Amino acid sequence: MIEIRFHGRGGQGGVVASELLAQAAFLDGKIPQSFPFFGVERRGAPVTAYSRIDDRPIALRTSITAPHVVVVLDPGLLATERVTDGLKPGGLLLVNTTHAPETLAAPGGVRRAAVDATHIALAHGLGTAMLPIVNTAVLGALARATEVVSLEALSRAVEQFVPARPEENRLAARDGYLGVRTVDGTAGPSVPLPTSPRVAGPSLPEGPMASLSSERIHTAAWRTFTPVIHLDRCTKCNFCWKFCPDDAIEFDAVGFPKLRLEYCKGCGICAAECPPKTIEMVAEV
Amino acid sequence: MTMKVLSGNYAQSYAAQLARVQVISAYPITPQTSIVEKIADFVASGDLNAQYVKVESEHSALQVCISAAALGARTYTATSSQGLLLMHELLHWASGVRAPIVMGVVNRAVAPPWNIGADHADTMSQRDTGWIQFYAESNQEVLDTVLEAFRLAEHPDIRLPVMVTEDAFYLSHTVEPVDVPEATLVDRFLPPREPHAILVPGEATRLGSFTGPDHYVDFRKQLADAIERVPKLLGKIEEEYRALTGRSHGGALPTYRVDGADAVLVTMGTATTTARGVVDEMRAAGHKVGLAKLRLFRPFPDDEIRRLATQVGRIGVVDRSYTFGRMGPAATEVSAALYSGGARPPLSSFLAGIGGRDITPHEVRRMYETLLEGRTPTTHWEDLEEEVTVHG
Amino acid sequence: MAKLTIPAQELMYPGHAACPGCGPALAMRLLLKGLGPRTLVSIPACCWTVIATPYPTTALRVGVLDNAIEATGASISGMRAAADALGLKDVNIVGFAGDGGTADIGLQALSGMLERRTNAIYVMYDNEAYMNTGIQRSGATPWGAWTTTTPVSPSLRGKPEPKKDIMGIVLAHRPTYAATLNPSFPEDFDRKVEHARDLTGPRFFHVFTPCPPGWRFDSAETIALGRLATDSGVFPLYEVEEGRLRITRKTGQLKPVSDYLSAQGRFRHLTPDDVARIQAQVTEDWERLLRREREEIVRSH
Repeated sequence: MIEIRFHGRGGQGGVVASELLAQAAFLDGKIPQSFPFFGVERRGAPVTAYSRIDDRPIALRTSITAPHVVVVLDPGLLATERVTDGLKPGGLLLVNTTHAPETLAAPGGVRRAAVDATHIALAHGLGTAMLPIVNTAVLGALARATEVVSLEALSRAVEQFVPARPEENRLAARDGYLGVRTVDGTAGPSVPLPTSPRVAGPSLPEGPMASLSSERIHTAAWRTFTPVIHLDRCTKCNFCWKFCPDDAIEFDAVGFPKLRLEYCKGCGICAAECPPKTIEMVAEV
Repeated sequence: MTMKVLSGNYAQSYAAQLARVQVISAYPITPQTSIVEKIADFVASGDLNAQYVKVESEHSALQVCISAAALGARTYTATSSQGLLLMHELLHWASGVRAPIVMGVVNRAVAPPWNIGADHADTMSQRDTGWIQFYAESNQEVLDTVLEAFRLAEHPDIRLPVMVTEDAFYLSHTVEPVDVPEATLVDRFLPPREPHAILVPGEATRLGSFTGPDHYVDFRKQLADAIERVPKLLGKIEEEYRALTGRSHGGALPTYRVDGADAVLVTMGTATTTARGVVDEMRAAGHKVGLAKLRLFRPFPDDEIRRLATQVGRIGVVDRSYTFGRMGPAATEVSAALYSGGARPPLSSFLAGIGGRDITPHEVRRMYETLLEGRTPTTHWEDLEEEVTVHG
Repeated sequence: MAKLTIPAQELMYPGHAACPGCGPALAMRLLLKGLGPRTLVSIPACCWTVIATPYPTTALRVGVLDNAIEATGASISGMRAAADALGLKDVNIVGFAGDGGTADIGLQALSGMLERRTNAIYVMYDNEAYMNTGIQRSGATPWGAWTTTTPVSPSLRGKPEPKKDIMGIVLAHRPTYAATLNPSFPEDFDRKVEHARDLTGPRFFHVFTPCPPGWRFDSAETIALGRLATDSGVFPLYEVEEGRLRITRKTGQLKPVSDYLSAQGRFRHLTPDDVARIQAQVTEDWERLLRREREEIVRSH
């Protein structure tokens, strides 16, 4: 049995990727099982999905804590989520990134693979620059890097089960298959894992009472574009502050707006509403 | 001490007044309505200084109490049958946010067909909602138990809502002498509610909240632990009440002439009174029979049932409702308690008094005889053996 | 720094779990600015259940009580009764519910609260569908809108029924004050909140809150879309107090409703005939509103 864990962001297609993988594996004659982490999905918020593939009926109904393969649909998650937690020695880390696989940090003995699925998705008109839908390109790369499914079965699954733009998605899967690069696990940078984002609770209160501020939760990882304020043209009109739904803008000592980037989700309202257009949305790398 | 001839419903009303409840909310339903009418009189006359929120449904009545309790108010409501069923979702909310509400419930049959007679199907179907449940036998017990219920509900180790139930008409509309204790006495027994875990203006606190699988179980276990503490605390509270009023109702499972009994019936509510008379009569005739009153149903008094089982030959449980696809609900609980106990005497489930049928001495006597003859333990629909004696 | 046109105080913490560009998040932020810290909010199941973040954190600097989805009206009646019974002074009691929790499943409790004249503010933030469960139609979903339960197919082109007139329902109860609010106009929003805050009796806000994922538009466009909604007459801004209806934003000529519709994916399938039909309805409603403003036909309690 092979266990695969997908890390993506709400709206990116991570959950659909795990379901498509199941459909493809079934077409290959395997017995698949796929499911999302049963949480609350918010557009841009980190989400997790799981897939198991075996030749026999799968006798497990639990989340996957020690996967053979980890698939990361958004490179921004590497800095905020502990994506490689539990990844098995000899396993594979596959990341959608413009960088070379050699640069990916992973536990010793783990193979690393990279595919520029964002570029592939946008080239086929899938999603927007703000939210590219990279799932089929990533699945193509997964098929090549792991051989858990054939490209042929994946293509058929895409044609049968992707509700919109099946042809573009099929081509994206093919390009992902052709474009992935894999390196073995002998060498790689050592980068400390991000600390767990989970908020430690106080001792249990008398009843379900929450009283810690959500300020300790940082939502920067939701962002694909970052606002940059060009203060030379700023008129201090406060529109950016007034319309920010995330309370992510404050003022400096002389009254210029100041971003609280740990909370900014990159919605782009401040840039759109800025009368002199001094705010620019810059793609996260 | 003032003796008044009161209905069970008025016993509820007087208890709420003596408890100095601060927020009341209710919706009319037969046969509960006179409880909240009387409270409306108390508020109108100034005999009770409280906010009385008249709502458009029982569902809203309970929500008013939950939200008022969340700010620290002492709250009371009352309902019956369909009204209780409409509250179902909010019963879970009340216990979940640890709201110490006391609710009077007049046990009435559930439709269809429409029927306003005594029947326990309403409260029995709510036994898994995290509420403490008392079943009362007399109007005096109704009044005393409501006062004790506030002490239990608001105790820092408990903080859970309580239902005090009474049988439709057999108590709700039956008048009998009741000792209504002096207000000063009750004030000593039941001081104003101490605020625990409430919302305070200006404080950033969220009550209710939501959790993933990480913390949800913690709060469920917290609630489970709280309700388990009830039996021990009930003893202490009753002791205090007795010191002030001279009365106690015997804890969770008061027993009557059970020593060395060949057959014991476990009863709830008003069936107990009739059965007690039959016990005396049958004991006089040489039959070794006894009685146990299931006064506290949630939490269920496992230990008391197991102790009873070591003293008696056979047990019959009289239920005023039926769990479809199972036996009587109290019988189910008694047998579950016995499974893990040392003694497991044969057990029978008797269904009697369904939908307002009388539970007569004749019927009770037949139940004892069934037990004494040692017939196969099974479920008996006793009402169907009787001539229908309902008039009107 | 230029003078702020709305209160500086922030009573909504950052770090909350709203989607990027969330209208309801901005609505809460503006609402609490106007109400201040001595506010208790009752929130039913809705997007804000989640936005407020899971235990042990909370995204609001005020007291919050969660309640069942259908019970918000009753909940604020209970909170006010307790505040009165306990002698708590100068407390704003607020219900903050979505359109489904208000106009559908919570309508009875809302009606009860209005009828018994609870001294509280009820806010319906309207994102025009069940968004927290993933975009299912509600009574407040407009005619023709795509949702996951009103899909676009040869036999169905979005929601076949018109939007429920929640303001009409509320005004039939003759509340102390009722108004429509739109976070795209923060100064108007804040003025209404601060005005209503100092009144006594039942008060109701119908707040327009665009939802980028549910309405299918770019999150940067939330404010612009809200502005279009009002300036096209789809969501006019007005208030009703003591029987008088006053429109609080008029721009002379209404913008074509097609500008508003074409900015959203949920209306992408509409034909020119569909758009004309919506335009006719919006124009008729706007003219009726103008007449009502002139005639002062709305009676208060």
